[in-house]
Amino acid sequence: MARPQQSLSWIFLHTSAIFIIILNLLTGFRFAILTKPDLLWFNAILPQGNLHQWHFIGGCALTIIVIAYLTLQMSEQAKSKQQQTAAKPAKPPSAPRFSFTFHKALTWYVYVITISAIVTGWLIFYDQQHLIPVDDLHFIVAIGFISYLLLHGGSYFIEYGMAAIKRIALPGPLTSLQLLFIAGILVLTFIGWRAWLYQPMIPLQVKQIPINHFIQIDGHANEAAWQDAPSVTVLTHGGANFDKGKTPVMIRAMQNGVEAYFHITWQDATRSIKHLPLVKTQQGWKIRQNGFHQFDEQTFYEDKFAVMLSQQCGSAADGSIHLGTKPISSKPSNWHGKGYHYTEDNSIKDLWHWKAVRTNDMLLADDNFFGPPATTATGQRRYTAGYVADGKESGAYVMNWLWYKQDIITPKRIPKDPKYIAEYQIENAIPKTLPWVISWFDYEPYQLEKDHYPLGTIMPSVMYRSNRFEGDRADVRARGEWKNGVWSLELSRRLDTKSKNDVAIEDGTCLWVSAFDQSQIAHTRHHQAIKLTISESP
Amino acid sequence: MIKRLLIVIGIVGVLLGYAALNPFAPGTPPTNIRWIKIDNQGNQLKAWDGPWACVYDKSTKLLWEVKTDMETIHDGYWSYSWFNGDLGAANKGDCYFEEERCDTNDLIRRTNQQLLCGLDQWRLPSEKELMSLVYHKGKPGDPTIAKDYFPQTKRGDYWTSASQQPLKGAFKHLGTGATAINFIRGTKANIPYRNAAFVRLVHSGFELPVTR
Repeated sequence: MARPQQSLSWIFLHTSAIFIIILNLLTGFRFAILTKPDLLWFNAILPQGNLHQWHFIGGCALTIIVIAYLTLQMSEQAKSKQQQTAAKPAKPPSAPRFSFTFHKALTWYVYVITISAIVTGWLIFYDQQHLIPVDDLHFIVAIGFISYLLLHGGSYFIEYGMAAIKRIALPGPLTSLQLLFIAGILVLTFIGWRAWLYQPMIPLQVKQIPINHFIQIDGHANEAAWQDAPSVTVLTHGGANFDKGKTPVMIRAMQNGVEAYFHITWQDATRSIKHLPLVKTQQGWKIRQNGFHQFDEQTFYEDKFAVMLSQQCGSAADGSIHLGTKPISSKPSNWHGKGYHYTEDNSIKDLWHWKAVRTNDMLLADDNFFGPPATTATGQRRYTAGYVADGKESGAYVMNWLWYKQDIITPKRIPKDPKYIAEYQIENAIPKTLPWVISWFDYEPYQLEKDHYPLGTIMPSVMYRSNRFEGDRADVRARGEWKNGVWSLELSRRLDTKSKNDVAIEDGTCLWVSAFDQSQIAHTRHHQAIKLTISESP
Repeated sequence: MIKRLLIVIGIVGVLLGYAALNPFAPGTPPTNIRWIKIDNQGNQLKAWDGPWACVYDKSTKLLWEVKTDMETIHDGYWSYSWFNGDLGAANKGDCYFEEERCDTNDLIRRTNQQLLCGLDQWRLPSEKELMSLVYHKGKPGDPTIAKDYFPQTKRGDYWTSASQQPLKGAFKHLGTGATAINFIRGTKANIPYRNAAFVRLVHSGFELPVTR
């Protein structure tokens, strides 16, 4: 290592790049757990919490470092030419030829993966994933960085020991130009970080309609008023069961000064309504599931759709995403390892949660919100942090088990007459229109002596005790209809409900959307907020 | 060089070893908490087990009836007028388990006959006892009680044993009534005996069994 010392500028860039790449690898692998649960093996060494902003800052900084590095290289090459020295870096006198060639190849390797990381990262940030599997490429590039860190850093250390570390840590003579260069990078990174707060948004013009125009919330959106309502389409990604995890979501909106109306469509090849059905086995009744025990069912679950509204439009669902198994040290860990939704500033993000079985026949979406982390309820297995339902006066759907158990459960109720579940028994020939909701009052409390149903009997598990919620939780009217691989959902709510758990819909309100394909929590997502524009005149 | 190779392998090994030795393992129920679930035979359950019929409060050493939605005598929807056999108003509440309508005496009698959680001598709680259940940290719209231990609690009045309480306002002409705790706000009010209110019975002679 008898080479001249590196400049301060080079050392700054190199050291920054090391830290940023490690930061983004750690945060990035935490993101990847959402779709690659096997990576939970690395849980203990990955960070938790509100990580999106750190990953974004890292991405900005890496972009700036690459530009600065290219500038530095060009400047040094120009200087070398002036000094009439060789344009190519000299071969280290003590280095064997293989080592030189190896590191030269690695340099080109890191050029390729760095540029790939930056390009795919920005494509993800701008939700541009239409043509290529950007998420997958970004992940592959991350694996590439790990191999590079081991091969590059590891091999230099093995070959040269502390001399290699001194060479990348101890700068040569300091110049004012170098200080200026470093200051410039810091300023640009700071600007990039602030840009996090001002990221581009997708504008959606909310069409104004007269108060006397009747809009039926039936999922069809066939009123004339909808025809020329402006729309936006967002490609959402990262959801379970969707084709390549993606589905485009089209949104259009109208308002009449009192109520807002939304029409949303998204592609979903299957209409999934078999929600955690019960099956009678030799041992007793059992819940059909493949992940519900971890609150991450992705097989026997209904389709769903969620709309989140916020008065702020920050990235990553306005800061409400906190990844990890236990992102709040004083609260319980989650069961799926993915994370929690909650706010850190006590603000409220309104959440409309439409459920194809549990709320669709109520003509409602479940009016929920993301708020500060709730107090722990020690008697319940599931803690949901800031994800909480609005209050209700009455009305509910009830799951048909006395107490959840992974193996055998006791149903709360069984049919008063076997005819009520006869149609569910024809496996592969169940009528598509058959609702997977049962009526509380067609059933009676479970008693072993009345359970004469044969083994293999299927029974829906969602019971309506009343036909709708009443109170704050019932603010959002909704109806979805599925046809030819597309869900069509209409939603309506007063512009301002005056509820402390709702967000008023006004000019500048932002929203995010997520589709669930027979999955409990593995929903699609997008980064850029959709910003509503509400003008006074039509 | 071998030594440095071992250092690199060691660093990677420590990281992977740390991850391997600290696997993600959710699912440990909390311990040392105020409430303990008790099944219908009087056995102690873990915090996440169920169903349970009673809840033992370690802080007051009282055992509480747990309401259900199973249309038994403990169904949370049933309401009762206040009646002790002599004083009060008999059969002014709504339930399915009596030929006539229901009062607090009916529930106490039936619960003692049933030996809920292995015990008889169930009774109405005092005002202080019932107030000890009031909990204000629940979710929006929930009754003011730890709903994870006391499901099917309604947002309404629950009778206490305190009778011959002076009535005020619109009920003043009725003279006296009984005290109820309102689980919407967690406050007390004196209401007429004839009112249909909810009931949660209590038992003060329960001894906590060993964990099953």
